[in-house]
Amino acid sequence: MTNKPHDQQDTPKTEGMTEMDRREFLTTTAVVGGAMVLGFWLPPRSAQAQTGVAAEPWYRESLVPEINAWITIAPDDTVTIRVGQSEMGTGVFTSNPMMVAEELQCDWSKVRAEYASANRNVREKAPEWTLKVPGEGLSDPAGGGAPVMLGNANGVYRRMSTNSSGSVREGRYYLQLAGAEARERLLLAAATLWGVPASDLVAKDSVITHAATGRRTTYGAMAARAAQIQLPDPSKITIKSPDQWTLMGTEQKNRDVPLKVTGQAVYSVDVRLPGMLYAAAKACPVWGGDVRSYDFNAIKDRPGVHSAVRFGGPRTRESAVGGGSRTSGGHVSGGVAVVADTWWRAKTALDAMPIEWDDGPNATLSSADMRQAHFAAVEDPSAKERIVIDEGNVDAAMGRAATVVEATYTLPYVGHAPMEPGSAIAIVTADRVELWTGSQHANSALTAAAREAGIAPEQVFVHQMFLGGGYGIDNGNTRANQQAVAVAKTLNGRPVMLMWSREEDWGFGLRPRPMGLGVLKAGLDADGWPIAIEVRTTGDYSGDQATRGLTASPYFVPNYRFESRPRRFHVPFVQRRATGSSINCFYVESFIDELAHTAGKDPYLYRRELIARNPAPPKPGVGGFNQRDNWLKALDMVAEMSGWGRPLPEGWARGIAIDDRRRTTRPHTTVCAQVHTVSVSRRGQLRLHRVDVALDEGFSFVNPLSVRKQVEGQIAWGYDDAMYQEVTIRDGHAVEVNFDTYPISRMNEYPREVNIAFFKTNKWLYGTGEEAIPQVAPAISSAVFQITGKRIRSLPLRHHDLSWG
Amino acid sequence: MEPETPLLWVLRDSIGLTGTKYGCGIAQCGACTVQIDGAAVRSCVTPASQAIGTRITTIEGLSTDGSHPVQLAWTEFDVPQCGYCMSGQIMTAAALLHKQPNPSDADIDTQITNACRCGTYHRVRQAIHRAAGMHS
Repeated sequence: MTNKPHDQQDTPKTEGMTEMDRREFLTTTAVVGGAMVLGFWLPPRSAQAQTGVAAEPWYRESLVPEINAWITIAPDDTVTIRVGQSEMGTGVFTSNPMMVAEELQCDWSKVRAEYASANRNVREKAPEWTLKVPGEGLSDPAGGGAPVMLGNANGVYRRMSTNSSGSVREGRYYLQLAGAEARERLLLAAATLWGVPASDLVAKDSVITHAATGRRTTYGAMAARAAQIQLPDPSKITIKSPDQWTLMGTEQKNRDVPLKVTGQAVYSVDVRLPGMLYAAAKACPVWGGDVRSYDFNAIKDRPGVHSAVRFGGPRTRESAVGGGSRTSGGHVSGGVAVVADTWWRAKTALDAMPIEWDDGPNATLSSADMRQAHFAAVEDPSAKERIVIDEGNVDAAMGRAATVVEATYTLPYVGHAPMEPGSAIAIVTADRVELWTGSQHANSALTAAAREAGIAPEQVFVHQMFLGGGYGIDNGNTRANQQAVAVAKTLNGRPVMLMWSREEDWGFGLRPRPMGLGVLKAGLDADGWPIAIEVRTTGDYSGDQATRGLTASPYFVPNYRFESRPRRFHVPFVQRRATGSSINCFYVESFIDELAHTAGKDPYLYRRELIARNPAPPKPGVGGFNQRDNWLKALDMVAEMSGWGRPLPEGWARGIAIDDRRRTTRPHTTVCAQVHTVSVSRRGQLRLHRVDVALDEGFSFVNPLSVRKQVEGQIAWGYDDAMYQEVTIRDGHAVEVNFDTYPISRMNEYPREVNIAFFKTNKWLYGTGEEAIPQVAPAISSAVFQITGKRIRSLPLRHHDLSWG
Repeated sequence: MEPETPLLWVLRDSIGLTGTKYGCGIAQCGACTVQIDGAAVRSCVTPASQAIGTRITTIEGLSTDGSHPVQLAWTEFDVPQCGYCMSGQIMTAAALLHKQPNPSDADIDTQITNACRCGTYHRVRQAIHRAAGMHS
């Protein structure tokens, strides 16, 4: 067709929008049974934006020299940096390459990022000299900080998990070493070529110069030589400290953004392979259950339907009440998948297929039952697992207190609710597995796929995608990967994309943050200061997640007792953004607010006084409250920023809260204090107007812009936990499985004003992916109390009548 | 395909335009938003048969090179985090600006109802105002 159709010529240009015109198209849709034809104009596959990230971000074998496993360099100086963490919005595809590029001293505008290979991580080991963390730990700005999760992660890409706020904390030192080593080898290559000492050369922006003679060359020209050269003693390599950084510590836009604003970014659900089939799956929604029977004959003649595949059964695990159901490899529930030529056909066929479930022994459990069990557990003197902190003599102090304050707090199960549903694409042949997935744990995805397929890990290849949200959802789990591999095994090497419906994703796929019960009691002296505090908690968590923030009170009190008794059910809980802090901080910050009110004192000043009373200097080491001065800094900063104390209209109030996400077995903290300015109408309509955040940046962030975005997003997350979110269990399964019953707040509720300020402290941070969440709910609840007189001891707020006056 | 197949699945699975996303299937989240004759429409509940004879624009068609003002503003403010909701957000925002070139915050509140689990609303709002400013 050469002439523009008539109506297109007359149509006014509409801001660059490209119209689809029926008469200028390629018909790509087959007519099926005379049903219909849709004509579409296919836009040409957009040229890869100059973003430095491929739309399909997985690892590629390099055609240009690989200097080390992390870095390849092309003749035109394009540097490809491999990323071991998963891009789910926290910006690792930018910040991880920044850590390498800082040391490499390459042209940052020519850096592209791609995922590292989990398969290579199985086959190759990291160089021995990279295993030692340089420097003196947490307080040494010149060193590599204090990684705590590397354990025996000695594969060439080291840690390939993205959780625990740990991308920078765990990976910074070896990423900096990788960049530095490559730089030194490039310099050595030029030095050798020119017959001059490497120390006479300068490397900057991918250019190497020899000042004395004016000779220059580029990384691209030296790459092949550098790839062959080894340093005589790489253990002498040092990494830059923050005062030497030129790229790290600067605001950088996330490099995948151009892909994400044009619809080009490929998520797991978007992968399309030749000959690919689609599968929709249902697993027994009562975790630990199985399929009893299904009737494929009822659906096999529907158009496009290929087969049904059972997975995970017969009963794969014991699932007794109280035994918990955390997966460590087996399928959480058995189920069945329907395979068809489109996902819609697979899903609708699956919905139509009669299935009988064997729900197992947990099929009668409800949230009410669990809550009752919690109340019994928190008192249970015979509980086997019990953590006890007992300082001073709490009972005696309570006995002589002028006032005793008691409060019981309850929190529900809450889900991750990512927007992308669980999915994976798998190809299984006799001796190989290919898996396309968006996983927070590429290593675990690989080993789980290997186990499911019965194939050696060295023959499993995981192609990582962008994730449409992570938030901890597949910690310890591999989402739909196992099911995809199970189905692919039946297809003789044909690819299959298995995808969960939203209802499956938030129903069976639920891996919630635990529900919790906290029973707190304080004895106050005549001036309202605590002389004894007792905290008793129960919930699914044990260990560090149960105790974080509670093994030592940040508010000075001479007598303190803390008891934690885990009580689990069959619900497959897992980590979720802010983990145990999101529970324990609600207890602590709500309770201190109650004490301040009982004492007739301002919530900010009451906290300040009690924090300041902690002995100086703060004890170093893990677990205990050792951040006194940093807490005071954060609290004072946020009080000033927010105008604390300035008059507000009637029906308005400010709530304050602070936390540092410290945990019993790690020394790191990230201190964050927040003030939430809230109004509640007399009829009980709550509005969050403004949030002020003071955030610890330690010695320095890597990418402050990404951190800012994270805090902005965490405010929405914490708000949703405070206001709306709750998963109830009925008949052993999750009830709220779509947006209509599990609400996510929208634009109209997001605060119109958000102020975020950073302050430096003399340490390396815990991280920033979760650290601004725990404060939100207690701060909002405090404001609600100040306005309405109603004390909030359970979430979500939508269950409370907030009317007042 | 069957005429009641939602437009979303025709776009994604039959045509291969995967920029439009599935988030809920019940028109609650907006990830599936496309434009039909310039209006924002949730394609997960729109039967393909209803789309015959209409002008459909998906994220891939908003511009050939990311140069639509909404896309430029989104990049300027570094809006996306995980990015999964963004096709729907952008198509909704572009439709709004076409109707109301200078929307107020209240307009944005009522017209941009897309869910974002990463919580990028702060930047979405700023970017919409910026994109509106690019026309004037």
